Amino acid sequence: MNYPVWELFAFSGGFWIAIIAIVHVFVAHFAIGGGLFLVLTEMKGYRENNPGILEYTKKHAKFFLLLTLVFGAVTGVGIWFAISLVSPGATSMLIHTFVYFWAIEWVFFMAEIIAIFVYYYTFGSMERRKHLLMGWLYFIFAWLSLFVINGIIAFMLSPGQWLETGNVWHAFFNPTFWPALFFRTFIAIMLAGLYGFVTASWIRDAELREQMIRYCAKWLLAPFVFMLISGWWYLQSVPDGAQAMILGRSPEIVPFFQAFIVLSVVIVIGGLLISIRMPGGVKRPVTIFFLMIGLLYMGSFEWIREAGRRPHVIYEHMYSSSIPVEMEQEINEKGMLQMARWVKHDRVTPENMVEAGRDLYNIQCSPCHSQDGFMNDIIPVTEKFGLFGMDAMLDGMGHLYDYMPRFMGTRDERKALAAYIVQGIHGKDLQVDREVEVPELDFEIPPFDADEDEYVLLAWNTLGLKCITDCDDYWSMLPPGNTLYAQLVRRDFMPEIVTRGVEITFRPEEGFENPADHVSYWDNSKSLAGRELPENISAKGLGMQGKMSLNEDLWTFVADGIPVVPYNDDGSINPYPFFYIEAWDKASGELLAETKVVAPVSAEMGCNNCHGGEWRVDGKMGIASQTASDVLKTHDRRHDTELMPRAEAGEPVLCQSCHADPLLNAPGEPDILNLPAALHGFHVHYLSDREGAEACNACHPSDPALYTDCKRGVHATRVDLNCTSCHGTLEDHALTLLKGEYEAGKTRQAERHMSLIEPRLVASLDEINPRIPWEQQPDCLTCHQDFQQPESHEVSAFNVWNEEVGELYRLRTDYMGLMCQSCHGATHAEYPAENKFGRDRDNIQPLQYQGEPYAIGANNNCSVCHTMEMDYEAHHPNMLSGTRNR
Amino acid sequence: MDPSALIPVSDTIPTQWGWFYFFLLLTFIMHLLLMNAMLGMGIMALVKHLKSGNKHCPVCKDISLKLPYTIAFTINFGVAPFLFLQVLYSQFIYTSSVLMGMYWLPVIALLLIFYYSAYIYDFKYDSLPGLKLFCLAVTVIFGLVIAFLFTNNMTLMLNPEKWSAYFENRSGTLLNLGDPTLIPRYLHFVLASVAVGGLTTAVIWRFKKDPRATEYIRNGLAWFSYATLAQIPVGLWFLISLPTDIMLLFMGGELLNTILFITALGGVTLSLVFGFKGMLWPTTAALVGTVVLMVLVRDLVRQAYLAPYFHPRDLEVVPQYSPLYFFIIFLVVGLAVVFYMLKLAFEAKREV
Repeated sequence: MNYPVWELFAFSGGFWIAIIAIVHVFVAHFAIGGGLFLVLTEMKGYRENNPGILEYTKKHAKFFLLLTLVFGAVTGVGIWFAISLVSPGATSMLIHTFVYFWAIEWVFFMAEIIAIFVYYYTFGSMERRKHLLMGWLYFIFAWLSLFVINGIIAFMLSPGQWLETGNVWHAFFNPTFWPALFFRTFIAIMLAGLYGFVTASWIRDAELREQMIRYCAKWLLAPFVFMLISGWWYLQSVPDGAQAMILGRSPEIVPFFQAFIVLSVVIVIGGLLISIRMPGGVKRPVTIFFLMIGLLYMGSFEWIREAGRRPHVIYEHMYSSSIPVEMEQEINEKGMLQMARWVKHDRVTPENMVEAGRDLYNIQCSPCHSQDGFMNDIIPVTEKFGLFGMDAMLDGMGHLYDYMPRFMGTRDERKALAAYIVQGIHGKDLQVDREVEVPELDFEIPPFDADEDEYVLLAWNTLGLKCITDCDDYWSMLPPGNTLYAQLVRRDFMPEIVTRGVEITFRPEEGFENPADHVSYWDNSKSLAGRELPENISAKGLGMQGKMSLNEDLWTFVADGIPVVPYNDDGSINPYPFFYIEAWDKASGELLAETKVVAPVSAEMGCNNCHGGEWRVDGKMGIASQTASDVLKTHDRRHDTELMPRAEAGEPVLCQSCHADPLLNAPGEPDILNLPAALHGFHVHYLSDREGAEACNACHPSDPALYTDCKRGVHATRVDLNCTSCHGTLEDHALTLLKGEYEAGKTRQAERHMSLIEPRLVASLDEINPRIPWEQQPDCLTCHQDFQQPESHEVSAFNVWNEEVGELYRLRTDYMGLMCQSCHGATHAEYPAENKFGRDRDNIQPLQYQGEPYAIGANNNCSVCHTMEMDYEAHHPNMLSGTRNR
Repeated sequence: MDPSALIPVSDTIPTQWGWFYFFLLLTFIMHLLLMNAMLGMGIMALVKHLKSGNKHCPVCKDISLKLPYTIAFTINFGVAPFLFLQVLYSQFIYTSSVLMGMYWLPVIALLLIFYYSAYIYDFKYDSLPGLKLFCLAVTVIFGLVIAFLFTNNMTLMLNPEKWSAYFENRSGTLLNLGDPTLIPRYLHFVLASVAVGGLTTAVIWRFKKDPRATEYIRNGLAWFSYATLAQIPVGLWFLISLPTDIMLLFMGGELLNTILFITALGGVTLSLVFGFKGMLWPTTAALVGTVVLMVLVRDLVRQAYLAPYFHPRDLEVVPQYSPLYFFIIFLVVGLAVVFYMLKLAFEAKREV
């Protein structure tokens, strides 16, 4: 950010550094080992009195001179040019810190040049002893060059004590200095053998050729074990973080690490095979091919070393983007555009957003990413994102997966960068109009004659909304299965909750009878539910219509697992289909009472906000193939699973087969986080510090601008509370779940996330109360203390959880045995609710029985059940004070 | 846009700036002499080949042998001043390099071709005359192109007020073509190369026991003298192309600048007189003295350009002197070993 950025697009991301560096290093190491090779081979020639060997040595020296002195030296300068163009800030830091070390290296370089010239041009004309001395001097100076450069390169990976002391000697003799020096020395000797193969294969005399090839094979193979031992030492000396990165935390390194292991074997076997006698015409191409293997070998090592320091270019001191670590906080506070020099705009405005984003891209992305190029191409990894998803990606970048630096800058700048990537690079519109038209559906209130009717039938959905993941060809975590409850009250002076002699039935409204026609859950039930399920029958055995079963403890009839989906046979989508609930006299078959209730169900899970793809159905809801497969691919990449291949093989998984989840009574794997903890704990890194319910709305169907708008209850519509009022912000919410898992013994898994999340509603993690998902929820009485009106709307129910499952709102009763929800409505749809698909769609029973949408019995409507006036608050305190939410 | 807002913040330096300044000028003088000899001898050989066709040309043959390692040493002695330049002026040189990155990075590829061509010219001098000429031409042309790109970078780094062009063109294709000093400066260095190339051949042949050595010495001196004569108008052009306030610093505006400049001009005059008189060693001495003075003048020009923004003394020093002492020790030991090796080489009675 200190320097201008050369916009290279396809060739950015360090391409030129990588290309020049790898070929240079391959030659430069040869320049060291090859020097030793020359002098020892010359001695061998003298010792064996073999002019053929001496002739070979001289020719090899010419090849050596032309390769190392010209190509090696110029590409060495080339690296310098390339790094100063691509990472001038880091280059400047290295130059200034190590200036005299570079200068010393220059002295060695000068002596090397003289030595090799003298060695080559006096071959045969100088006294043997003196000529050998020239060879030795060359090798010594070449190795000393390595000594110096090695210190600087090793410093970048392991600055060690220098980080605290700033002492340049600490920087130079850093923790990996010695192992790297030995490792590189052995590599250099091996390369001498590898190059030797090539020149030896050109020897005309077959006998001598084979002799020298075997001689070179010794050069290749003898140091091999020492190279591996020093390599192991090297790896042990690398800082812990970088070591973890090398050993698998960075997906960028894995293939190169594997290549290095495989090529080690290839080198040994090849070294042996090449010693087998074969004609020169065959041997020459084989040796050149083998040399190329050596290039790949060297390249993979250098790549591992370079990538091992991610996200830094100088470990823990300077990021890959050449931004000093110590500046990060200041940049976040003041803004990158304010701090950077070579930017066109110093702040983001709506007008300049994309252009300002380009500057931010150049500073933060282009050092490692190309566009349609060879190095970490940014196109395929960002093409799925819209503005929201890209911004979220930047939000979480470098947090959980720290091989990339975190985004640095303000929130506006982050959005500007996202805008540049989405519009500037991918040409997509930034403003995606996601608002949808919602039909207002007509419906009738079932009849009720207050004077004549003997029964009142109350029915409700327990969760307020059942989400389904309708991407069953890929995965499922929320299979169809809605739950309806009903209580039948016989009206009287002292009304009775009827549980005997009656049957309660349920059936859907027309068009919703065949969910199997709309989702592929039943095609995949064997894989997802563990057995073949008949069409339209849920895993709990319930169909779309049938009898409710009695829960004796709750005096309530239950239909748990109705596989309703929001898709109507007529092609429309209705997340609030009605179910007709009817109470029958078991003996006579007489209809005692009837009502209807919505079975809210939605597939409007916002996975596509970040995982790409559109809505599966009609632009309104549903998880599309593209979205679902991206989720699996991401999971496979991050967690080394094979979910996508399994899905492609027709065996999609139920997430709860590994992740425990009380919702489905799934025990899961003991070492894996439960599903809510895993989902919230992971995604919070990408949705941090959001206003209000923005983070919630990103995934759940709670966004008022979208189709389902699940928050219909009085708290959301009239009191203006949002998800966070009860559940906390996503950070807090995730921490409660993670802490629950932590206390359940999954310490390592939970800690990994928790250490990166800051609570927002409480001061510290210590204050977070852990909880078990679904079984522990916010409690109404936290705000409505003693059933009273809260003092203000500025209340929070967060962080106080029920201790027993039975204390949940959906399972709780009043003093008389009526369930809370029977009178107050479903969770998230408390009376008086407001539904976009028809204002009173959730208020059927209040309207049916008392002609107004308030809680059953509110405003002294005791006559709904009681046949005489009541003045005693028998159900719960404060029930006679009248409704407030008119 | 305020140019100073664009100038990057420099890193700290471990010893007083004067050390770097000294090493920069010292090694640059070496580099300049070697570079001039290298390019000048190449041009000279090319002209001789073109003039005389395939006729035997001992001077050319000798140049073909010398060129590869003159290049090697030019590059080697280029590394050191480039290092010290970056220590003192990183914020300027890196910036200008990035602005012209699309030309600057290919310098490496050009240099490789330039270098290998010189080797082919050497190794195939006798066996492939057509190829040798072609390769020499490649070496000379590429050398001139590289020099032109260096001139661009070395002037672009001095002109922060031109850097804002970056915001219209970030592809690294900015050169400093609009700078009035660019062409005279470039020609000044190329002509100096021709002169030094000529003088170098004269010096080389001075040590040969060849019957035609005297002729070649005279010829080399003639190349030197006429090229230097041509330098008068070119040098004048360069002088007046400088921004007036900077030019005037050397014409009485600043005492030190004026003294150095006038002394340097005196050196040129002497070298011309000695050159035309065929006095090899006085000419050489005058030339070396002139180069030293001109390098100092060149540096004062640089300082004058950057005066509104920066002087190396502004660099913050975070002292760590011990590496400097090691450098000096290694330099002394290294030079001793180098001289020992050269001594052995000359004793081997083979030309190196």
